[in-house]
Amino acid sequence: MLLFLLLSTVWVYGQQTQQKIDMDIDAVGNAKINVSMTMNAQQWQVWVSTLGNNPAALKREVERSMPAYFLDDFKLEKDEMNRSFTLSLNAYGVCEINKRGMWTIDTDQKNANLTKLTDHKYMLVSSPEEFGGTIQQTFTISFPPEAENIEVDKDALGNSIFKFDMENSAGGINLLMLGGILFMVIGAGWSGVSVLTGRSKT
Amino acid sequence: MKKLLIPLSLFFVGAVLFALSFLSFGSASGDLDISIVKSNSIMPAAHNVYANELALDGKYYLFKAKMTNNGDNTLEDVTVRYRIPGYVEWTELDVIGEMFPGQTASVRCYPKFKDDISEKMTESTEKVEIEISWDGAQEDDIIDEEFSFRISDRNEYLFTNIPAEEIAGWGDVYNNDALLACFVTPNDPIVKYYTQNIQEKILMGETASVTKDPNEAVRFLAGIYNATVLSHMVYSGTKGIPENLQDVSKFSQHNRLPREVITGNTGLCLELSLLYASVLSNAGLDPMIFLVPGHAYPGFRLNGQYYAIESTGIGGEGIGGIMSAEDAFKKGMEQLNEFMQKAQTGDPRYTVVDIHAVNQQGVTPMVLKDDDFLRKKVDDIVTSWGSTGTIAKTSNNSRVASGGNTGSNSGGGGSGGGSSLSFSIPGGWQTYMRPVPEIPIITAQVVAPDQSTTVTVFDVPASSGQEALGIINQYFQNYGMSMQYQLNGNQVTGQTYSNSGVFNWVGKTLGRNGGIRLVAVGAPDYLYNQSSGYITQVFNSIR
Repeated sequence: MLLFLLLSTVWVYGQQTQQKIDMDIDAVGNAKINVSMTMNAQQWQVWVSTLGNNPAALKREVERSMPAYFLDDFKLEKDEMNRSFTLSLNAYGVCEINKRGMWTIDTDQKNANLTKLTDHKYMLVSSPEEFGGTIQQTFTISFPPEAENIEVDKDALGNSIFKFDMENSAGGINLLMLGGILFMVIGAGWSGVSVLTGRSKT
Repeated sequence: MKKLLIPLSLFFVGAVLFALSFLSFGSASGDLDISIVKSNSIMPAAHNVYANELALDGKYYLFKAKMTNNGDNTLEDVTVRYRIPGYVEWTELDVIGEMFPGQTASVRCYPKFKDDISEKMTESTEKVEIEISWDGAQEDDIIDEEFSFRISDRNEYLFTNIPAEEIAGWGDVYNNDALLACFVTPNDPIVKYYTQNIQEKILMGETASVTKDPNEAVRFLAGIYNATVLSHMVYSGTKGIPENLQDVSKFSQHNRLPREVITGNTGLCLELSLLYASVLSNAGLDPMIFLVPGHAYPGFRLNGQYYAIESTGIGGEGIGGIMSAEDAFKKGMEQLNEFMQKAQTGDPRYTVVDIHAVNQQGVTPMVLKDDDFLRKKVDDIVTSWGSTGTIAKTSNNSRVASGGNTGSNSGGGGSGGGSSLSFSIPGGWQTYMRPVPEIPIITAQVVAPDQSTTVTVFDVPASSGQEALGIINQYFQNYGMSMQYQLNGNQVTGQTYSNSGVFNWVGKTLGRNGGIRLVAVGAPDYLYNQSSGYITQVFNSIR
């Protein structure tokens, strides 16, 4: 439900605005999200007076616009000279493993028109109806290198979803097993040598 | 043999370690960290909303839980289930196929209460029990969490679900606006019966939802008002809408349901508004509830225009008298005019709840059962209407008074049939004659030097201001734009929506040369405040 995040709080009324949203998925299914926008003079003035100079209010608005998710590590960087900003945040548990062992992430869009940029990167450009066509969003989602067999499918509601495989990169090593094998090999080898040495003397 | 003792011992130890590795590596002991965010209070009236994860972007969950696997093992089939003793049996929320070490998963709970929760007449404190387990988890591994929360009674409405310490402005106070639609009950058998009686006994038939005729719709609105007057319904004067941010005690209100207002014959402003909305919705119209500081009043939207009535005009003989339906409608329209102006400036204390729009977002009302006793009470009320309660159709424009018909042809200031509507142009503004040839009804536009403010002169072949605005709207729709407006006498307030955004404007109309002239001045909504000086100056100069 997260994928096509509509940050209404960073929507600025007026002429059509370009908004870029980048989502980087990590090896355990969390997402680092970066939202960036460049505005004209009037839009910048409005945005600064409402949210730009009040990061706490901006954080609060983002959290309220995504109530179903756990978010943290908000950072806001403003480039006042060029009237642009980048908001970054972490979203947890965006991807999850289903009962069949496949990782999934829901786009929350029906028949999403996704463009494959690379084997691990997809893009969507949309102009959400909720904002009357005044905002154009370019959304990219980047999967980690460990992700394999990435494909787009539909869920039971007809929403486009990503499915992919991803091995556990933090898999543990069984030290007990390794130690046991090592001792057995040393013990067996030493026994063999002792037996052979004993026979040769006799 | 002694020589083999040590190597054989090593081999034996290795075998034991090897065997042990299957026991520990195969074990499913886990270290799962849980963090829960919960709702403190649930309104039974809104139980359908809490059960719907798609309603209002999923903001009305009972709780959400974040789980992080801090152990070294991958946990399989992590199952989260919960129950609310007495209300919801053990229910599986999610089964996560695998959780790698370091992985985080989140689950949300949208509890499905039974419909009979809408019969809850007292508040109570209940408990949620949560259980998290996974394949191979031992008894000690299973995680049990619980927390308490409050279920209010079915009549309680919480204006906001934001904690008091987080409230920063009026927008936060009215955070639960949309949930008012849960108290609008058009499908309540008692409300249906009441509506049917109004249509038959007071209006002697009505066709508002079929014909989409504003006159007919206003007649229906007046019919509801007259029904309340004839039954001697009185306004309970206790204020319910919050008036200041510090008055936290006012952030909840005990609302009589529409059926209770009908049969109890009394109501607060908000309760009366909910009743009107229920009846209007049942009759096929689009109900609105307008919220202003300390007050609420009902209305509807038809053909892009809003109408309203001051439902508390029923007052009471003991508290200042009773307004006629016409006066109550007139007062409602005046308030609506003020509402539009305040709302355009972005004042968050002035909000409107579009009931049907909110229904489509998943906010659906509670289900109420039929009740013979209440039906009999409605019969008694209908009897009290007597034979004097009918309102026949009339072609008198002033009686129906959509607010615009009376002013359109007689003019709002012109001295005669041939006079034009003129205005003063500030210095430096640029005038363009016939700026859009494809829209011939636009005679001229005058634009401020910074292009923030525009005056547009329309000359429309129409016989009334209402008709003229309708024609302008049709032209706009051909170009992907649409208008919403409020006509009051010869003054108009409106918004024009397009791909470029929202344009707020005010204007005046006058009959001219067999048609209607409209002079409208406005600015994009994000510039309206800073241009308000020029806008007011030009508007006041229109005569």
